Amino acid sequence: MLTLTSRSPSPSFCDGISRRSFLRMGGLGLGGLTFSQLLRAEAQNGTLRSNKALILVYLPGGPPHQDMFDIKTDAPSEIRGEFSEIATNVPGNRICELLPRMAKMADKLVFVRSVVGAKDRHESFQCVTGRLNENLPPGGWPEIGSVISKLQGSTGAAVPPYVNLSQRMYHMPYNQGRSSFLGVGHSPFMPLGNVKDDMTLNGITLERLEDRRALLTAFDKFRRDADASGVMAGLDEFETQAFDILTSSRLLKALDVSSEPDKVRARYGKGTDKIQGDAAPRLNEQFLLARRLVEAGVRVVTLSYSFWDWHSGNFKNARQNLPDFDEALTALVEDLHDRGMENDVTVLAWGEFGRSPRINPGGGREHWPNVSCALMAGGGMHTGQAIGATDRLGGEAVDRPVHFQEIFATLYHNLGINPNTTTVRDLNGRPHYLVDGAHQPMKELIS
Amino acid sequence: MKPCLLLTVFLACPVQAQLTLHLHTGAPADKPAALHGKDATIQLVATASSPDKPACDATRTVTWKVEPPTVLAVSSTGVATPLADGTATITATTEGATATATVNVSGAGAWRAANFTHDIVPVLTKYGCNGGGCHGKSEGQNGFRLSLLGFEPGEDYEHLVNESRGRRLFPAAPENSLLLLKATGEMPHGGGARMERGTPDYLALVRWMEQGAPAGNPGDPRPVNITVLPAERLLLPESTQQLQVTAHYSDGSWRDITSAVQYESGAREMAEVSSSGLVRTAKLTGDAAVMVRFQEFVGVFRAIIPLGAPLAEFPPERNFIDKHVFAKLRTLGLPPSGVCDDATFLRRVTLDITGSLPPAAEAEAFLAETNPDKRPALVDRLLAGTGYAEYFAGKWAALLRNKRGNSPPHATYAFHAWLRDSLHRNKPYDHFVREILSASGSISSNPPAAWYRAVTKQQDQLQDAAQVFCGQRLQCAQCHHHPYEKWSQQDYYGFAAFFSTIGRKPADEPGEEAVFHQWREASANNPKTQKQVKPTPLGGAVLDLKPQDDPRRALASWLTTPDNPFFARVLVNRYWKHFLGRALVEPEDDLRVTNPATNPALLDGLALFFAENKFDLKALIRSICTSSTYQLSSLPNEHNAADRQNYSRFFPRRLPAEVLLDAVDTVTGVPTKFPGQPAGARAVALPDDSFNAGSYFLTVFGRPDNSSACECERSGESSLAQSLHLLNAKGVQEKLTSGEGRAAALAKEERPAEERLRRLFLAVHSRPPAAEEAKKAVDYLTAREGKPAAWEDIVWALMNSKEFLFNH
Repeated sequence: MLTLTSRSPSPSFCDGISRRSFLRMGGLGLGGLTFSQLLRAEAQNGTLRSNKALILVYLPGGPPHQDMFDIKTDAPSEIRGEFSEIATNVPGNRICELLPRMAKMADKLVFVRSVVGAKDRHESFQCVTGRLNENLPPGGWPEIGSVISKLQGSTGAAVPPYVNLSQRMYHMPYNQGRSSFLGVGHSPFMPLGNVKDDMTLNGITLERLEDRRALLTAFDKFRRDADASGVMAGLDEFETQAFDILTSSRLLKALDVSSEPDKVRARYGKGTDKIQGDAAPRLNEQFLLARRLVEAGVRVVTLSYSFWDWHSGNFKNARQNLPDFDEALTALVEDLHDRGMENDVTVLAWGEFGRSPRINPGGGREHWPNVSCALMAGGGMHTGQAIGATDRLGGEAVDRPVHFQEIFATLYHNLGINPNTTTVRDLNGRPHYLVDGAHQPMKELIS
Repeated sequence: MKPCLLLTVFLACPVQAQLTLHLHTGAPADKPAALHGKDATIQLVATASSPDKPACDATRTVTWKVEPPTVLAVSSTGVATPLADGTATITATTEGATATATVNVSGAGAWRAANFTHDIVPVLTKYGCNGGGCHGKSEGQNGFRLSLLGFEPGEDYEHLVNESRGRRLFPAAPENSLLLLKATGEMPHGGGARMERGTPDYLALVRWMEQGAPAGNPGDPRPVNITVLPAERLLLPESTQQLQVTAHYSDGSWRDITSAVQYESGAREMAEVSSSGLVRTAKLTGDAAVMVRFQEFVGVFRAIIPLGAPLAEFPPERNFIDKHVFAKLRTLGLPPSGVCDDATFLRRVTLDITGSLPPAAEAEAFLAETNPDKRPALVDRLLAGTGYAEYFAGKWAALLRNKRGNSPPHATYAFHAWLRDSLHRNKPYDHFVREILSASGSISSNPPAAWYRAVTKQQDQLQDAAQVFCGQRLQCAQCHHHPYEKWSQQDYYGFAAFFSTIGRKPADEPGEEAVFHQWREASANNPKTQKQVKPTPLGGAVLDLKPQDDPRRALASWLTTPDNPFFARVLVNRYWKHFLGRALVEPEDDLRVTNPATNPALLDGLALFFAENKFDLKALIRSICTSSTYQLSSLPNEHNAADRQNYSRFFPRRLPAEVLLDAVDTVTGVPTKFPGQPAGARAVALPDDSFNAGSYFLTVFGRPDNSSACECERSGESSLAQSLHLLNAKGVQEKLTSGEGRAAALAKEERPAEERLRRLFLAVHSRPPAAEEAKKAVDYLTAREGKPAAWEDIVWALMNSKEFLFNH
């Protein structure tokens, strides 16, 4: 029995379906056919759902905060660096001269200059899990995409809730897609790998696939409670998702940028597909892909952009990387605004730590976990701000230090989750809060 | 869960008349306890027990009486503090039972002379000042550097007292010194307020400064070890246990340090521990270990938290393994599942020993066999075959880093072949390890020398050797004392010295390198002390070797002595994990004091068995596979579904990558071609990792790259990509539709569909189909006139079912 009441005015969640009508559908199996039939029907009806989503840009290696959003004009020359400030369209807000496009739309951005709490470890762990890589509960801390996948599930029949666009990076800890206590069912889908070939039907028709599926259901009767580790349940979930990908090409279409108008593609710029350092390429197109995926219903998209661990040639590298970054990020934010998605989609760009004030003899900066920076946009936040300040040398946060968990609390808040009341259970059934209680969503940003 | 009869009886600490009470003071058995100095304390622990109930903690429920009360006082939490010199008797009373202890108090009028190393540094450790996240970092924090966890007190004294003209201390007014103002948060401190004013530890720091911040006399007694009381205890869920920790000194004295040590729970979801040593258990059942750390000494408390469910009949005890496992299950009140059926056992043991599915003919024969000893006979047959040797050679190749890299193929192939032959001929494990560690020459002349091809740096050699053969992860100790173990840098470099004489030169065979022992004294440089360290076995005495002695042989000799505490234990732990899914110590190569086994008696029993049987690997496997424990069903009863630690049932696990690939090949009837390998070569027999890059199947299902000595490198996770691949990969589809494949052959056969189906199920699941399954399949086939496509679909469906994908 299926009652589609998505147009009813009753109080509903972001996907536009009231929970009462949800229940009338005859129960929800995890990604069961009834739900996906519903959503397919909805898509055919043309009802546009606006999901809360997150695009997280990871800058592997730790970008130099004092050469991006926090130029230290008062510092001695061996600390200040080669770049000057330029004004932005927010009075009082000044950023690096190599980021002119961001300067022109600073009213849509938030520069957090005083991110603290980081560890001196080259890994994406803290940037995507909101936790330090220590005292891990059994299974390990989950990435924010996995948490959202667990708490909110998929929005559509054929899109996974968490997609990671990174290619496999040479330095293993940069990679995302870690296993965690949420189980394998919530790992990210990583379509820039070999899986692309498996995503279209190979040698059989859709009808035959459905026949096979029915047969599988008949044969697959092994008791699931025999497995306490969650692997079997995870496999079941993935199987369902896989079927959904094979029977509808929504995900594939989202990953194909050739259907975008040339003007839009050009706005994002190019970058380079050459892998930088031991990290990622500088592919501006990935920002466009992220937007398309979010439009298709993916909740969390993460991508890794270039390589920022410049122990030498800091300024030369900045001149190569910052303009591309400037182009890609502003195109994304502009695009979101143009499409009316700016209140639903949060954008965050950051690395695992900042860089040292003192410039070393090689013209580079060392690791500096004491303070780093973050760039945020969208999410219905109060943009047009620069939050926090560092000291004269750009070494310590002196005003409004922002712990990275506060940023995560803000992200969860923007995604519609209350970090003070929501918990996820680890492999032993013990509930965990998403961030430590002391850290709240940043009051400056949320209403 | 139904309320359990046994559990309700356990609900409170025993209250019957037969109750006996013991009072622990930490003093050695025949001596009275001693409180020396005004700041001394003793954490008393009262234990109540009765004949039919286990011992439980009564420290907070007894009433304390001191006679005479002027000598010392005891708080409600059982902490005794001195008041005046003399001797007193403490009496603890509860429910009619009493226990007494005598305590001598001396020097109560004065504070003990503080010794920086033994009194002040532990305070810094306890409050986290010198942890790896703060001042204990190699670069310190904000200009103040301490050694990690206080392992270098001499340096700490320098930094704290003398550095920067002594600005951190203010002896004239200690409470205004930078050290204390920051520690209490009265001055802005990045680490926040760590301690409170007026607490005993705060006052200890004050007094130390008042005494002139002494370093202490070099002749002061040093701690030589610590003891934790109780060492282990059965603790009900949601109950508490007070710990007591005593330090023993070089002059024979001892002191209670319960409040001075660091506590850390190894399983916080099962038990938490406070900074005063009170352990509190949660609701979960199983084993929880609490680590206790005092300077370089570590101790452990094991909490065993029972479930208390009613115990029905146990399966028969077939050997010592069952004895130990079932004893633990009885202690926990965790009833095991029953023994599995023949089809399950056949498939399970064939997969675990050979990495292959049993052929349909064998399944047919095994199920029909009436001999009551057929299961042990099957185990013997499997161990005698080459499948076992190939499968386990792959396991050891991963551990021993048989990674192709830039080497020519014969380097890794020769090593793999040697591994395989050694296993097939059942070479005793001690010979096996000795041949690897002391290998000299080129790979062509002496294949085990290939280990040195892969592991070239001294630090990798010693770390791998320690991890693989001793189950000790020494890595941390390279730069400082190991934070969780007793290994110091001296131990690390003493072990490194075993690998300090390795030379390499061109071998007689063209293009090859020979490893050899250089004739010189073996020693390694300890960068901390800048002194050379001679080869020292872990926890043993320094060896005096002559230049012509190959220290690697000496290492192998030490490893393979029957009473070596590491060698046998780590091996049996690994093999236990291979067959039962979870090691007795997890991770399987991290056998720390602070990481105890969930069933120490079983681990010891297995190690003893192994050593007594001259390190016979096949005998070990045989005893595991013929035990009832291994043969338990994976289907849970109403109590043991959540068990993942105690082997009350078999824990299903997904087939590893190469086993799964072989299984798919077997079921579809089309083997995968691996470049350079003979036709029909199994994936589990692949000699090295070079085939991973060319096989998306192996990569996506997580076959390791042989890059590390940890078996955890193998990714056992599932993913959407894997599901997509199994459901839809072109390669898999080609196997299904191949004219040479099983589906095509089945379609051609003349026999009735039911018979063909039976054969298919025996090949895939090692069991005949259930009536329902047969009917569905026959209907499906009839509707499609038995065409090959229909058979393909059936094979596809069977291949994607969980029963196929898992070893259960």
